[in-house]
Amino acid sequence: MASSLLASSSKRALARRGPSFAKSLLVARPATTQSSDALYVPGGPIYKGTVNDPTTFPTPSRVHGSHHWSFERLLSASLIPLTGAAYATSPSVHPVLDGILGVSLIVHSHIGFDSMIVDYLHPRKYGAFGHMATWTLRAATVGVLVGVYNFNTNDIGLTELISKVWHA
Amino acid sequence: MSFLPRLSRPVCSSAARHFSSSAPRALATPVAEKPVLNKEFKIYRWNPDEPAKKPTLQSYTIDLNQTGPMILDALIKIKNEMDPTLTFRRSCREGICGSCAMNIDGQNTLACLCRIDRNGGKDTKIYPLPHMYVVKDLVPDLTLFYKQYKSIKPYLQNPNPPEDGKEFLQSPEDRKKLDGMYECILCACCSTSCPSYWWNQDEYLGPATLMQAYRWIADSRDTHTAERKEVLQNEMSLYRCHTIFNCSRTCPKGLNPALAIAKIKMELAAD
Repeated sequence: MASSLLASSSKRALARRGPSFAKSLLVARPATTQSSDALYVPGGPIYKGTVNDPTTFPTPSRVHGSHHWSFERLLSASLIPLTGAAYATSPSVHPVLDGILGVSLIVHSHIGFDSMIVDYLHPRKYGAFGHMATWTLRAATVGVLVGVYNFNTNDIGLTELISKVWHA
Repeated sequence: MSFLPRLSRPVCSSAARHFSSSAPRALATPVAEKPVLNKEFKIYRWNPDEPAKKPTLQSYTIDLNQTGPMILDALIKIKNEMDPTLTFRRSCREGICGSCAMNIDGQNTLACLCRIDRNGGKDTKIYPLPHMYVVKDLVPDLTLFYKQYKSIKPYLQNPNPPEDGKEFLQSPEDRKKLDGMYECILCACCSTSCPSYWWNQDEYLGPATLMQAYRWIADSRDTHTAERKEVLQNEMSLYRCHTIFNCSRTCPKGLNPALAIAKIKMELAAD
């Protein structure tokens, strides 16, 4: 009873103020408060769904999830003994060890740079520029791999170079 | 009898021990009036009704000897006595509701748990939580934060009710695993202190939500552990954590979200 009274009286109040006022209540509010292009959207521009919908998760993929993480950690940890072994032995006697060190270093830095691109230049935000960064990194990694292979097989190799620079 | 040792402690002579503001009559000499200790507070102001106007730092100077000890006391005093348009969230004033989370002198913390630096020569700067949409002044928009919290299903999922129909039982050891996680009040101090959350908050869940995700993964009564872990198996939701530790450093409740995230990573790797 009380609520129906309230409802009818508020309707009347709206009617008395004229149709334009009632219409302005019905249309989206930002139109009335907008005084510049800096428009406040409740929930912000990056939210999907209503404010009561939970955020969604991407399709699960262990390659991008735990396997990637485990591989990265194991690689980083194994670089320490690898570097020590390469330092202790002679690269010309153990070319395989030198080769493994070269490849692991490049993969390690590829994962590191890729993580930076995902953090700061993700294609979902930077579009074509993000894709370009990803492919530039891939091309660079392949190029470095080829270069290090040539350097290790036809020249003195990575380990020898570092020891030469160190003793220079 | 347990209260007896307390009586042996020296009784504080200030009027604050009593529940009245007048000095106790037993004092022979009148209490000297406190000296004035002015301190400047610079507070971030932005009004959504004037969206074109840039946010500014507004300065307020108050006498600390006429104010309570915490930053929240100063804010309430400013709002009551100087500027009623100052807007901030507060509720419990004792660090259990998480409403008054803000950035005070560069540190995300609860205004009600943060003591005022009594050095009157140095001002105190108060900003809203960093890298969030601001609703007004010190009020950030936490909509996404709550949407993310909802996405990890922060409730018990167990389709098999206990046989006696009363409650899910748990060993004291299993219960112990939840200590340090269930105390989280979701004030968002940790998530908004995390650079990864600043750059990628639309995809990365952030420390607060991840610690609650692990709170339910670690719960022995929950049967959906595998599903809870499976949703985190992607590049963004969990693995944007680079162990920066800002979360554990800033937590006003002294919790350790970074440890919970490390445990999730270990469990996912062992799967």
